[in-house]
This record gives sequence, C-alpha cells and structure tokens, in this order.
Amino acid sequence: MGIGSGSVDVSAVRHILSDGRVLLDDVSFRVGEGARAALVGENGAGKTTLLRIIAGDLVPEAGAIARTGGLGVMRQFIGSVRDDTTVQRMLVDLAPPAVREAWHAVEAAELAMMETDDEPTQMTYANALAHWGDVGGYDIEITWDTVTVAALGVPYDRCKYRELSTLSGGEQKRLALEALLRGPDQVLLLDEPDNYLDVPGKRWLEERLLETRKTVLLVSHDRELLARVADRVITVEGGTAWVHGGGFASYPEARSARHERLAELRRRWDEEHQRLIDLVRTMQQQAANSPDMANRYHAMQTRLAKFEAAGPPPERPPEQKVAMRLRGGRTGVRAVIAEGLELTGLMQPFDAELWFGDRVGVLGANGAGKSHFLRLLAGQEVAHTGSWRLGARVVPGFFAQTHAHPEWQDRTPVDLLWHGETGPGAGGRAGIDRGRAMAALRRYGLHGAADQPFRTLSGGQQARFQILMLELGGATLLLLDEPTDNLDVLSAEALEEALAAFEGTVLAVTHDRWFARSFDRFLVFGSDGRVYESAEPVFDETRVARAR
Amino acid sequence: MTLTVPPSSSDSSSELPWDAAVEQAVDRLRGEYAGRVRPQLVVRVVRESRRDLGGSPVGALPELVERLARYRLGTHVG
Ligand SMILES: Nc1ncnc2c1ncn2[C@@H]1O[C@H](COP(=O)(O)OP(=O)(O)OP(=O)(O)O)[C@@H](O)[C@H]1O
Ligand SMILES: [Mg+2]
Repeated sequence: MGIGSGSVDVSAVRHILSDGRVLLDDVSFRVGEGARAALVGENGAGKTTLLRIIAGDLVPEAGAIARTGGLGVMRQFIGSVRDDTTVQRMLVDLAPPAVREAWHAVEAAELAMMETDDEPTQMTYANALAHWGDVGGYDIEITWDTVTVAALGVPYDRCKYRELSTLSGGEQKRLALEALLRGPDQVLLLDEPDNYLDVPGKRWLEERLLETRKTVLLVSHDRELLARVADRVITVEGGTAWVHGGGFASYPEARSARHERLAELRRRWDEEHQRLIDLVRTMQQQAANSPDMANRYHAMQTRLAKFEAAGPPPERPPEQKVAMRLRGGRTGVRAVIAEGLELTGLMQPFDAELWFGDRVGVLGANGAGKSHFLRLLAGQEVAHTGSWRLGARVVPGFFAQTHAHPEWQDRTPVDLLWHGETGPGAGGRAGIDRGRAMAALRRYGLHGAADQPFRTLSGGQQARFQILMLELGGATLLLLDEPTDNLDVLSAEALEEALAAFEGTVLAVTHDRWFARSFDRFLVFGSDGRVYESAEPVFDETRVARAR
Repeated sequence: MTLTVPPSSSDSSSELPWDAAVEQAVDRLRGEYAGRVRPQLVVRVVRESRRDLGGSPVGALPELVERLARYRLGTHVG
C-alpha cells in the first residue's frame, strides 16, 4: 500500500440527531486519490458530524462509507485539551489502530511485571515488545522524535510525559498535524486544523498540505487557507451536501448559481402545483354535469396526488442571520495599566497602557504567553511579577478558547441564561426568562440548540454562545482569546460589526489575518521575550525557542 | 511440483546462541550467583533464556535476557 492510495466514498448518508431532527440526508460525494477537498458550511451545519461518520465514530442511519488507505483523524477540539492527556498519549491516539493496540499491550505487560515478575509475565512482555517491533513501533518512535522536535523543539523522550494542557493551543495543533502528516495514514480528516495556529503556522500548514501526496478532507473557515489549498469544495447546507469541482476562487459564484437554480426549480414546481390544483377545481365543477368529465376529473385528481407525493424539490437554503450586540459603557480614561509586568518565565518585563475605547490586537507566536496575559487581566491566578490594574468602572469580560467552561457542559443554553451570575469577572449578569432567552438565542442563530446540553453544541455554536454571555454580562473591557476560531465567516463578520459598535475597550488575541486588520494598534509578544507595541500587525514573529 | 526438504541441521535445537546480550547477562549473573550456582549453569541458563526470547527486538534483548535468566536461576536455588 503506497502513499497516495487513499480515497473516501460517501453514498446516500443520512444522520438523525438524538432529539429526532434530521441533520443530514442523501449526502454523497467522493474524495479521490490525492485530492485536497474542503468541507465548508455554517456553524452547526453538520461538518464535524460528517467527519465522525466517515471516521466510523458514528453509524449513519442510512447510507454507506467506503474507504481505501489508512485513516488519520484530527478532531476540532485538539488545541483546547484541558484534561491530563500526555504528549505520548496523543501521539499514540493519532497512530494507526495496529500501532495503538500494540502500544497498549506493551503498557499492560509492563504494569503486570510490576505486580508479578514470573516467567509467563516476562514472556508476555517479550512478545508484546516483539509485536511492537512487527507493527513498526520502533520506526514510529523515531518519527515521533522528529515530530516533537519539529513541533515543540524537544526530543520525544524529554516531552512524552508532558501534559497537553501545559502546551498552548497552537502547539497542540502543530503536534497533531506533524504526527499525521509524517505518519503512515494515506487519508487525513482534519477538522479546523488551522484554529489556534499562529500566522507562520498557518502558512506552514498551507505549504505542507500543498506538497503532501496524501488524500485530505479538511474543514476550515479561513478564506485565505481555503483559497490556497482546496482543489474542490464540499458544502454542507440545507441538510445535505453538494460538491463544487473547482477551487475556492470560483466557489462563491458556483454557490449563488446553485441557489438560483434551486429557487428556479422550486418556483416551477410551485407553478405546476398551482396549475394542477386549478385544473382539478375546474373539472370538479364540470364533472357535476357530465359523466365523461367525471372520469377526467378523477384522473386529474390522481395526477395531483402523485405530483404532491413526489414532493417539492429542495428549497434554497435560507440565508443565516447573526446579530451580536455588545453595549459596554463609559469607564475611566485609563482602562488598563501594566508596569514592569512579567509573567513568570514567559517574557521580559514590559509596560503597557490601554485607553478607554482602544482596540488593541495581541499578536505573537504560539506559546509566547498571550493567553496567560489575558487570563491575568480577567482576574485569574497567573504567576507574575510587576504590577497591573484596571481603571475605574472597568469590568472585564473574558472570552476563552472553547472548552474552558467545565461547569457549563451538562447545562442547556436556556438554563444557563435563566440563572444569572454574580461575582468578580462576571459583571453581574442578570438572569432572563425563556422568552427573552429564545429571542437572544435567535439573534445568534442558536434557537435550534436552545435545549441541548452545552457539550453537544458544535464548536462554532459554543463560541457564539460565549459571545452572547459577554453581551449580557455588561463588560466594559472585552478580553477575547482567539474569538474567530471556530466561527464561520458570517459570524466572524457579525462579531467585527458588534465590536465596532461596542462602547468600551477591546483587547483581543488573534492569528486571524482578516480579523486583525480591524484593530487600531497591536501589542506584539516577540519570540525573544520582548513585548512591544506596533501600529501595524506583525505576523511573522518566529516560534518561541525556550528551554523547556 | 518439487518438495522442499528441510536442511538437515546438525542438531540445531541444542545449539545455543552466544552474543552481546548473553555476554552481558552472564557477566552480571555470574557475580550475583557466585558460590550458589556453578558458573557453567549460569551460562547455560542465560543462553537458554536468550534462545527462548529469540523473536524479541534486538534493543530490548539484554534486559529481557537478564531478567528471565535471573528469574530462572532464582527458582533453581529456591
Ligand atoms: N446530542 C445532540 N442533540 C441535539 N443536537 C445535537 C447533538 N449533538 C450535536 N447536535 C447538533 O448537531 C449539529 C451539527 O453539529 P456539528 O458539530 O457537526 O457542526 P459543525 O458543522 O461541525 O459546526 P462548527 O462549524 O461550529 O464546528 C449542531 O446543530 C449541533 O448542535
Ligand atoms: Mg465542527
């Protein structure tokens, strides 16, 4: 099985959600050898679900998946791992099934030997090691070494027990991508691989995807990445999927042409429907006087029934609407003051001043300490020296990368909105009743997900909901950590508009080239540990080389 | 069709291996069991252990051989 012999065939797949809604129906497409297909669609359309069906995590209600070549999968939430998973564990999980099983066998045998050191246990251990060698385990360990050196700058043996939660989001993503791109699997399913990557990281990813001979199906909302990488575009919308055989440049035109065609077909169907109904009515009147007409009347009735039974063609998918309203309020002129601030081990001391109304983008390489800085200002525990304070009436509102709210996981949006919040950082959000909650959720395109547990919301739905919480929280200083990751194009634009109308101060970490351009000035976390101000966005700070 | 006749090895089962893994284990275990087990027996047990672990990865062999031989010698002296 050589490189490049992978493909995926999806035929007539149908998926039903646990609450009975049909999410996907009649989804068919093929991703042939060496293709680089993009999977796009609005937040909650079903992209992640479709990838999980292809990966075999979910069994579709109907239809089938056929695949050739080994399959490597990167999930959307890599980058926001908060549990105790280690680097080693993640690399094992990304390896082909045979390697995974062999690794678990070796681990089990090692544990058994700590209990009993007799001959059968030793032989089991020896066999497990032999099997590890047979499935290519030793070669994979060499690859893992290359992978960790490339992604983190340290050999495998020095970082294998390190917990992923101690790596930045971009470092986690980079690690997974290196492992999959250098690994043996020929088909890669990548769910938003560019989230959390810094700009050099995104460029690196674009280049690697262009040069790989593997077959790739990737989800992304990043227009620059899509334009450079995709050679076909699969859209999930209106409860099904369709394929544009070209790149992203010709995609918008193809999409509006398709929508017009759908609308036209529907219009014709409606017209024909009306014509048949009118005919039936006329004949019904004539049938009263003539037995001959009575026969024709019944025939026409049957024809109408058949026409209706065949059903109308699919509707043109509705245009989604998202409206975010971030209000804010006046604060002291100096909103944030930092003097000789140093987050322990992450940077050199720096001074910074943010004024009321400032729009400041925080830029810099993965791992430079940008998220820690925001967390500190949000009032969380972060080791530091030097001083910082917020100005009068400055109420911070913090948007963290997804999965930062373990206490939300099992509660529904309506329930979370019903219970207000008091206390530091929350800004005293008042609870709202179901009617108002539904109205707010509708503005965020979340009304369909109002009664689902938070953990079942899609990545972008979770991100939108967090912005809604900010809206209701009455913050006057927005601390946003990569807010546009996970958001589809339209919601990212809605957020930009909302920020423009916000009365208050905004400090946002971003690697989104598009979004960054809407800021007035920038705080750059340099790779040499220097934090400096810049009037223009700086995207090419190289990776942080720090002794770990 | 021709039948392949297995080569008649000169009693290959009794031919015990001798390599770096064996050498290291013998060195160590001879010292450990000095006075309790005859040196020739140490050599024999180590070489048998080495043979029984035949399919193991080369890198892991020294450790595996020493472990197994130590366990076997341990049960021998009781
Ligand atoms: N257990 C569940 N009950 C009800 N709805 C669910 C459940 N699990 C998922 N969903 C819904 O299924 C839909 C598809 O989710 P999916 O994660 O596939 O979206 P996505 O296209 O990947 O979106 P994003 O761009 O935000 O990542 C969403 O509307 C989500 O809320
Ligand atoms: Mg998704």
